[in-house]
Amino acid sequence: MVHDREVGGIRCTEVLAHLSDYLDGEASPELRERIEAHLRGCDWCERFGGAFASVIRSLRAELTEPQPLPGEQRERLRRTLRRRLQSEPGPAGDPPA
Amino acid sequence: MPPATDLEDQQLLKALAAGDRSAFERLLDRHEAAVMRLLRALLPEEAAEDGFQETFLSVFRNAGGFQGRSSVRTWILSIARNAAWRHYRRRSGEPRDLLSLEELGLAAGWGGADDPAAALERQERRRLLEKALEALPPPDRELIVLRELEQVPVREIAAMLDIGVGATKSRLHRARLRLLQSLRGGGAGHGA
Repeated sequence: MVHDREVGGIRCTEVLAHLSDYLDGEASPELRERIEAHLRGCDWCERFGGAFASVIRSLRAELTEPQPLPGEQRERLRRTLRRRLQSEPGPAGDPPA
Repeated sequence: MPPATDLEDQQLLKALAAGDRSAFERLLDRHEAAVMRLLRALLPEEAAEDGFQETFLSVFRNAGGFQGRSSVRTWILSIARNAAWRHYRRRSGEPRDLLSLEELGLAAGWGGADDPAAALERQERRRLLEKALEALPPPDRELIVLRELEQVPVREIAAMLDIGVGATKSRLHRARLRLLQSLRGGGAGHGA
């Protein structure tokens, strides 16, 4: 059963639906105000909203930079690409090194 | 005005279109890791390598066709995405999203006694996030990689997916909730 009560002029299910908009700063000022009032009065949503924001922030902080390709794989991929490009009628000049 | 790095990418694309193959090498240097990360989010390793070849061959062939509607990075990721989905659809069919938002929220720990972020604060933050990401369905992984990791603007993702901005935001929200669910080990908890 879904826990759903109205606090601060907005229901828990509505807060859940708008959490991403809130986190991304895309909620209207009025919606933002209602969500914040709700979070102050609802432990359930305050706890989950905090966890939601924390995970997204961690994701952005920890994984933003892609890992460089391992050297062997990088060379293999480039060798294959170079071979295929040799038969391409694309840009003139030497094939990529 | 595009950011400096995108201006450099645009110059490299122009140079490639004019026949400078060394510009292609520079574009590879700048984008290969991001392309591979997106492809791995959608495909098994071997297929990701095929997608990598397909992506950069397309970049090579179509450098002159870049129209500047997005950043070069987004354009290249869009090519990679299309390559991946052609492969994915051949094998798996279209993904489906059947849970209601409330069901999804509950599975993600909404209303649960435990805190899905707590594990992250303890240890192995990066490994746990990667594992949770790997456990997501490919369409969710794709969205999380594009938006949170590559920081592609929502409107550009919407164009890439050929859906509206609102639908993109909605899918992203669900993907984020499923990530929390994945961090919790996939179980649906409800502490009401």
